[in-house]
Amino acid sequence: MTAESKAKKQRAALIAAAVLFIVSAVWCGYLLFRQSGRQVEIISDGRVLYTLDLDREADREITVEYEGRKNVIAIEDHDIFMKEAECPDHTCIKTGRLGSAGVPIVCLPNKLMIRFKAGTDSAENGGVDAAA
Amino acid sequence: MRVSISYLAIAALAVSVFTGCGNSETAKAPAISGSESSAQAVSSNEPVSESVFAMDIYMTITAYDGEIIRAVSESIDKIKQLEALWNVNDEGSDIYKINNSSEPVSVDEQTAELMSFSLGMCESTNGALDITLYPVLREWGFTTGEYKVPDEDIISELMKNTGYEKVVLDGNTVTTPAGVMTDLGSVGKGRTGDCVAEIMRGCGVTSALLDLGGNIQVVGRKTDGSKWKIGLKDPYVRGNFGILEAEDTAVITSGGYERYFEQDGEVYWHILDPAAGSPAKNGIISATAVGSEGRLCDALSTSLFVMGEERAKKYWRSRGDFEMILVTDDDRVLITEGLEDSYTSGGLFSETEVIRRDS
Repeated sequence: MTAESKAKKQRAALIAAAVLFIVSAVWCGYLLFRQSGRQVEIISDGRVLYTLDLDREADREITVEYEGRKNVIAIEDHDIFMKEAECPDHTCIKTGRLGSAGVPIVCLPNKLMIRFKAGTDSAENGGVDAAA
Repeated sequence: MRVSISYLAIAALAVSVFTGCGNSETAKAPAISGSESSAQAVSSNEPVSESVFAMDIYMTITAYDGEIIRAVSESIDKIKQLEALWNVNDEGSDIYKINNSSEPVSVDEQTAELMSFSLGMCESTNGALDITLYPVLREWGFTTGEYKVPDEDIISELMKNTGYEKVVLDGNTVTTPAGVMTDLGSVGKGRTGDCVAEIMRGCGVTSALLDLGGNIQVVGRKTDGSKWKIGLKDPYVRGNFGILEAEDTAVITSGGYERYFEQDGEVYWHILDPAAGSPAKNGIISATAVGSEGRLCDALSTSLFVMGEERAKKYWRSRGDFEMILVTDDDRVLITEGLEDSYTSGGLFSETEVIRRDS
């Protein structure tokens, strides 16, 4: 093997390793950042029933039942809100769309909560981490 | 030979980066409810968060660093333990026993401690806080959701059995006359927040957010080193009227908008004036207490709401252990001077006044 071809091989190997490294780094970046979408959880009596990415969800309705009482949750134009609720006060419906204030949508009588997933960037959360 | 070694080293590095990220991929499964998913969360620095329904509200505990799995699971256990002690409707609870006996009742140390604190606050606020209002609150339907404006005769009859000074605490023994009912609802959530914050710190957690049905308590700062941003809910439900930056702080609001009903054009809300036995309408529509102690802020948010502007200002000046934000029924926002640097107006109310200690 000549010294020249040896050097060529060496360079090729280095380039291959560098390419592999860069590709993996980019892939990692993608994995890390793609979950910063608007992740929402629907929780019933302390149990997470659904974890949804609002940015990817098509318009649809989800019905959740608690002790025979129904709540209808709607997703429209990548927003989520309580559409119907079999509860006395309808506070959950009055809350409107999730998102403007970092306030979860809560139907206390039916122990149902819709909220941004913990760790969701506060900028996606109306700029606040929580509301009092 | 050197070639293949350096090649291997770089390849190994690339692979290690791959695997490192692989963890974050698995952590995309919800890191909530249950130790299995939480275990994945730890390996990838995802926060652990759990929600539990207790004390009539949703409590969400989120821990970001330290021994987060232990911290959150011990917190949930603590919440359940305290709820079992203080739930006014639970036959096994200390409060139920106190309310259904005119004999001395021996209670858990934690109940005695909170009872002692509460009675002190009732006295300090000159009765703006009163832990014996439960029968009146129940008559208005605020405890059951079956709202009604009660008969004045019934209220004046019930008011004969209210008054915190009727509660006698001696060590871990509580005695109330027949007909007197206590309820620690106005301080229980704040105290629970304190207990949870304590558990967090004990588990090495330096960053946690506790949302106890709108009572917010934060431990440390956010993981990026910045302070937590706490929105202040607009009493007219238009979002947040301001934002408060907080660190190791409780931010607790009492607002008429939280639970109310309307009858014949009149709004009746759940915060009652202990002196009248009817909704407190003293010019304040939202009162927020800010301080290091949850139980104090919880007790104060209710008291300040009941006191009205002038009395609240005077009370704040008489103490040095909390700050407050008041919204008045003529649309002014009042903040105490200690919050000047941490409060940002959201622009919903045109006027923000700063309350000074020496004016």
